[in-house]
Amino acid sequence: MATRSRLRSTRLLVIALVSVSLVIITMDYRQGQSGPLETLGRAAQTAMAPLQRGADTVSRPVGDFLSGLAHLPTLQRQNQDLRSQLIEAQSQLIHDAELQVRVAQLQDLLGLQQTLDPGAVPAVVIGNGVSNFDWTITIDQGSNAGIQVGQPVITGSATSPRLVGLVVSVTPVSSDVQLLIDQRFAVAGRLSGSGETGLVTGQGEQDPRMDLISPDAKVDLSGDQPIEVFTVSYEINGQHGRYPPDILIGQVASVVQNTNTLETSVTVRPAVDFSALQYVLVLQTKSGGAG
Amino acid sequence: MVRRVLSIVAIVVTALLLQSTVFSQLRLLGVRPELLYLVTIVIALLEGPNEGAAVGFASGLSQDFLMNQPKGITALTLTLLGYAVGMLRQFITSPSPLLPTVVVAVGTAAGILFYEVVSLLLGNLDMSVTYGLKVALLTAVYNAVLTPILYPLLRRITERSRPRRVVRF
Repeated sequence: MATRSRLRSTRLLVIALVSVSLVIITMDYRQGQSGPLETLGRAAQTAMAPLQRGADTVSRPVGDFLSGLAHLPTLQRQNQDLRSQLIEAQSQLIHDAELQVRVAQLQDLLGLQQTLDPGAVPAVVIGNGVSNFDWTITIDQGSNAGIQVGQPVITGSATSPRLVGLVVSVTPVSSDVQLLIDQRFAVAGRLSGSGETGLVTGQGEQDPRMDLISPDAKVDLSGDQPIEVFTVSYEINGQHGRYPPDILIGQVASVVQNTNTLETSVTVRPAVDFSALQYVLVLQTKSGGAG
Repeated sequence: MVRRVLSIVAIVVTALLLQSTVFSQLRLLGVRPELLYLVTIVIALLEGPNEGAAVGFASGLSQDFLMNQPKGITALTLTLLGYAVGMLRQFITSPSPLLPTVVVAVGTAAGILFYEVVSLLLGNLDMSVTYGLKVALLTAVYNAVLTPILYPLLRRITERSRPRRVVRF
């Protein structure tokens, strides 16, 4: 008798919990970015951020050590490669400095202005998304530092920025950044050399794809120089695109063979190693731009 | 009772923190474990369907809210998973020490497939069938590997916080 009533109460509990879950799913689905659930979630994330920061500080050395152990042979070769690259780069640098001066003079002369010259907020990565279907990171700066939803996130130096992703949610003390490998991410890209443009979309664990390249474009990967993909700036009806121009997205890895003759597609290897990402810059563009 | 709730809250928060920091760097072929699936399954196995469903719901909901995911789907998945594993417990008589590992592996794979189907139906997810299967299988393997480490720990915590029962004849 006792077991039967206990069974019944269990069943009731499960039915109640399942109904609540369904209600939450429906509410979240219908309200999108502005419902009370979103507000609640943001409050919860605000409370979680300091804990994440603490856990990250403690765990990062451990994780670094273990992943370093796994990559030991490649690290050694990489080290040699990097040394030779450094020497090359140093000689290049001297040459570049001259060019820079010349460009600056020419720009002044032409009265050119950067289409976007945003300030940037530095931030530390304090967490990654927890699910296997979500490619996001959490950073330790939020709306208190002026970050808004829709602002682009980069890494690297100011002279050679590399694209990380886009701010998708903000709390006062932390923000979530959708990485460019996320399946919902898309950005307009331009190939170096030919200057052909296309749409780069994230593919999750696989390399992002760049579609809608004109079929006449010759993408030749046999050359010495890797073909790189940069962001493009554009203006439609007075609205700027979301991303400043010439941020490196990645390198073309392969040309996708397809029977579709209306467009060429390539895969792009991102310029950023997302698993080792630690510091990023959030560009303070005005939000409201389109993809 | 209060102590019990507190210890479960601590377990859930710790699991979430570990998953978003340590295990995002320790991946198995690009896939990370789902610690909250593991926690739900183990607690359901130890305590039964009632606790399984309740803990599943609570941990699923906190994962959804704390980690900015589509809300409610993980809660639904883990509620059903906790209940199912708890009910299943009555039919398992094997005393094998491998049992929790096997149950965690099967439960994780089933739970993730369920999650994928629900998010696919809601249009939250866009991925190939092979990727979905790969994630489900690899996560199941990963969780199974972690079970021998975490199972004794979880058992000790839940047993310590269990209210003492007086046995009367």
